[in-house]
Amino acid sequence: MILDLHTHSIASDDGRAKVENYCQWIARKSLPLDGFVLTEHRQFDDDSDYRSLEDEFGLLILKASEVETEYGHVLVFGVNDDLRARFDFSKIDNSLATVLEESRRCGAVAVPCHPGRPKVGLCAHWEVRGPVEGVVAIETLNGGSREGENEQALQYAEKYGWNRIGGSDSHIVSHIGRYATRFEDELANMEDLVAALTRGRFDAIQPESPRSPG
Amino acid sequence: MNALELKTKFAGYVFDEISVTVKAESLVGYAKACGETQPRFTDPSHPDFQALPNYPTRFHGTRGLPEDFPIDMVRCFDAGKSIQIHAPVRAGDVIEGRSEIADIYEKTGRSGKMLFIVHRMNFYNQRGVHLATVDWRLVQREFD
Repeated sequence: MILDLHTHSIASDDGRAKVENYCQWIARKSLPLDGFVLTEHRQFDDDSDYRSLEDEFGLLILKASEVETEYGHVLVFGVNDDLRARFDFSKIDNSLATVLEESRRCGAVAVPCHPGRPKVGLCAHWEVRGPVEGVVAIETLNGGSREGENEQALQYAEKYGWNRIGGSDSHIVSHIGRYATRFEDELANMEDLVAALTRGRFDAIQPESPRSPG
Repeated sequence: MNALELKTKFAGYVFDEISVTVKAESLVGYAKACGETQPRFTDPSHPDFQALPNYPTRFHGTRGLPEDFPIDMVRCFDAGKSIQIHAPVRAGDVIEGRSEIADIYEKTGRSGKMLFIVHRMNFYNQRGVHLATVDWRLVQREFD
């Protein structure tokens, strides 16, 4: 099962894509995606309900968050009320250690994204500030990365034995699916995704070609 | 002051108002400048003559930010405008534009910290009909 784990919709201040248009694009281009996760910046989107789009397009559409820490941006999967009471999603200077630990305690998974990116990625801060306990996976394939950034992330994953996810980091429709994550298990909801991320049965991929019709 | 303190102090109240009478020639000129050719936007004799939907984005208040708002314009750039259209603007309308700060928030990007200021103008006609809401985002880099 292939999911794009890092996308933004118009619910993010810099997102220009409507969720329906992502679905239409995936269908029209026959992209080899089984679904995607909306990771809106500094918030969790409580209000939107995408079940009708899931049914119409045969996609799994899940909701997560991208929060900001002193070590860069972090995707949080499995956001719940308990977790949102533990730290302020809207802040830009959350503690990475807190985000990692509280996510784990509340049944969520936190994954540093675009780690090779200057200022907002894990790697540069890791060198300066030192290691942080609790990292289990990082995003080694990010669709918004510049040359060398994903390579640096992969080096860190290999060095520290972290699992690897992929995501497009799409803010516009045509960027969805540039990178994704392949799971060995079938996933039906966020609980399944969190369980799969915890078990480590996945890897970052670059989807190769559109699915053949039928 | 951080973003939350700025928002608490400056957001949510009208700090400026303007009043403009809309002339037909202004609507025609704006439409043509945008490359519009439909008569209802370019011909004042058309029975449904009205402004192009994005027409209210052309208006500015008498000031961009509340008095005493702490900002370093040297580090600022325009992050664009968006418009919500509520009702058509017609020739002869007397439009009132009210400015407020709708939001102030911070984020981090490749270039570091950024402060976003959302300047909102709400436009009403002489009958009190809400015509449009225009949000203009201003960004200040490395604000602290």
